[in-house]
Amino acid sequence: MTIPFTHMLSLAILLFVMGAACAMTRKNLFMILIGVEVMLNAAGIAFVAAAMRWLDMNGQVMALFVMTAAAAEIAVALALIVCIQRRTGSTHSDRFNLLKG
Amino acid sequence: MKPVLFLLISFPLLGALILALIGRYLSRRAVETIACTTVAAAFVLALTAFLLSGQKAHSVTLARWFAAGSFQVDLDLYYDPLAAVMTLMVTFVSSLVHLYSVAYMRRESGYTRYFCFLNLFVFAMLVIVTSGNLVFLYLGWETVGLCSYALIGFWHEKPEAADAGAKAFVVTRLGDVAFGIAIALLWINIGHLSVSGINDGAAGLSTQAAGIIGLLLLMAAIGKSAQLPLAVWLPDAMAGPTPVSALIHAATMVTAGVYLLMRFFPIIQGSPFVMAVIAFVGVMTVCFGAFAALVQKDIKRILAYSTISQVGYMFLAVGAGDLAGSLFHLISHAFFKSLLFLAAGCVIHALHEEQDIFRMGGLRQRMPQLFWLFLAGAASLGAFPLTAGFFSKDRILLAVFLQPQAVYKIFWAIAAMAAVITPLYAFRLFFIVFFGQPRADAGHAPAPDSRVSVPNLMTWVLWPLAVLSVFAGFLNLPVNWAGNEWLAHYLATVPGAAPEPLASPKLESAMQMGSALITIVMVIFAWVYYGVRIQPGENGETTFQNKLHALFLNGFYLDRFYQTRIIAPYRAAAGFLWQQVDAGWVDAGLDQSARFFLTLAERLRHWNTGRVSQYVSMMVTGFTLILCGLTAAWWYFQI
Repeated sequence: MTIPFTHMLSLAILLFVMGAACAMTRKNLFMILIGVEVMLNAAGIAFVAAAMRWLDMNGQVMALFVMTAAAAEIAVALALIVCIQRRTGSTHSDRFNLLKG
Repeated sequence: MKPVLFLLISFPLLGALILALIGRYLSRRAVETIACTTVAAAFVLALTAFLLSGQKAHSVTLARWFAAGSFQVDLDLYYDPLAAVMTLMVTFVSSLVHLYSVAYMRRESGYTRYFCFLNLFVFAMLVIVTSGNLVFLYLGWETVGLCSYALIGFWHEKPEAADAGAKAFVVTRLGDVAFGIAIALLWINIGHLSVSGINDGAAGLSTQAAGIIGLLLLMAAIGKSAQLPLAVWLPDAMAGPTPVSALIHAATMVTAGVYLLMRFFPIIQGSPFVMAVIAFVGVMTVCFGAFAALVQKDIKRILAYSTISQVGYMFLAVGAGDLAGSLFHLISHAFFKSLLFLAAGCVIHALHEEQDIFRMGGLRQRMPQLFWLFLAGAASLGAFPLTAGFFSKDRILLAVFLQPQAVYKIFWAIAAMAAVITPLYAFRLFFIVFFGQPRADAGHAPAPDSRVSVPNLMTWVLWPLAVLSVFAGFLNLPVNWAGNEWLAHYLATVPGAAPEPLASPKLESAMQMGSALITIVMVIFAWVYYGVRIQPGENGETTFQNKLHALFLNGFYLDRFYQTRIIAPYRAAAGFLWQQVDAGWVDAGLDQSARFFLTLAERLRHWNTGRVSQYVSMMVTGFTLILCGLTAAWWYFQI
């Protein structure tokens, strides 16, 4: 059986909004990072859905690209968080306000 | 010929360079020796070149200066009879002035600077005279301006000397601009910048082009030679040391303008209108200078105005197409005017820097040698019969009279009238300074019976000049005096040198008799009016006579005219542009916009909370709004 296009798109929207809400509301850097990952994967699902809907492989290729970018991003972000944690002893995002106006 | 000409111009330059680079480590004696030797060597070389060259024109290229495409400028020299006479005169007078300066400047401390600029001046003047192309000539032209500026302002700690230097520089610059334009136009119209190329190509110019270029060259000459309407800088230039006045502002630099017109006479000849304008400028300046010189009190200002007037005669001669007459007067003027200036320097020196002639007087007994020297100069300036000035001025008047156009008859009448005044002011100066009672109310003057001493060197160098002032007429003795007009014949190969004025000997003799008679009468009148009586002082009444006196004394208020009509409006405009436009609009506008952004930033900085989650929320909100907007637009246009 095939899953209807609208269902897949709804799932993508749901995941995206949840990820965004997580990134916006949580103060822990790890949780923000997880929120961002969820948003990226929501975008990936939307690409795969579109590929199935229009029978075009480019969508799946894009999903692979998104995964690659997410992997790279998570590696850099984790390194940054480790570095920040070592310097300040905390992973709370509001502690880093040196650029406050 | 090439090595001689090369050495001729490089000796004074060498002297200037040595003095500029290591002059401060040399003793005073060494500095003086270097300065005098290099110029004297230039004189010897000028004499050699004169004897070697004959009447031929020599073109010599020393080196390539620069090249840009087809526009090539070489350091080349052009030596013909006109340049020969000028180099001889320039090097001769400057040698004597250098010697005189050794004595005159013996108590001054800035002697290295002085001699350096004096040597540089001689170099630049020789470049003007011998240059083979216009760009090289322009180099010399600007350099004499620089030296003139530096030497007028030699006592730069005195504000009036510094101002006078700046004034001379700025006023002559007006002419230099015209010269620059003329060079560009010559390049466009003729395609040559060499002296011979221009003079050969002059015949191909249209009357209009020749007229425009001629007028621009005239402008250049007016600036350098202090003719009307740019005559105002020369009287002020007397703030410099007296030898400088003698060399630069009487004998050589101010005649550079005349030389320029003579050098490019074929172009000027192409336009009768320009010829008439030159004659008009000359004749007006002759009158201007003569009347102003008649009432001045400062001995150097009298001589300055008389220089303006005499250079006017040279312009008049060029305007009448008589190159030989112009050069003849230039040479005799160089002799008698440098003599008069140097003699005036002796007088000023002896009287402890007193320059007011009404505080002098009775110097005949106290300075007997100078009395005769000054008499020679004054006689020649006043065109006393048989002196050099007599023959040269007569030749000019005759040449003007012989021009066929009616307007030249008017010029002749005005110039002849001014020639009546010339002996009057020359002998007024002479009688007031050397006769009468010593007016020693300037408490520092020595006792009347004592002889005043100036260094011997200062009087010795005047003798050759005095002899030449009296006898230089033999250079170009008219035919009716059994002469052969050597100078005119010598100049015959110079392009544009006109043939002899075709005067009947009877007319020539009559005019000479007339002017001789007038001169003698005017000398007697000067004796009666100035020698016997004491000059009546102004009584403060506004009679016509006093008004006229003030008019002449202030140089026809030309300075005031420029001050009120040109400088004051210019200053007002500059002040307006500075305070209203620049400070008021441009600067204030920029300040205002900077202040706007500062306020804006002050307001916006509070949005920068430093909380990452807030930034994310803002970003999401912003994206959402943008997407909503795009969707709405898409929906709207789709329908």
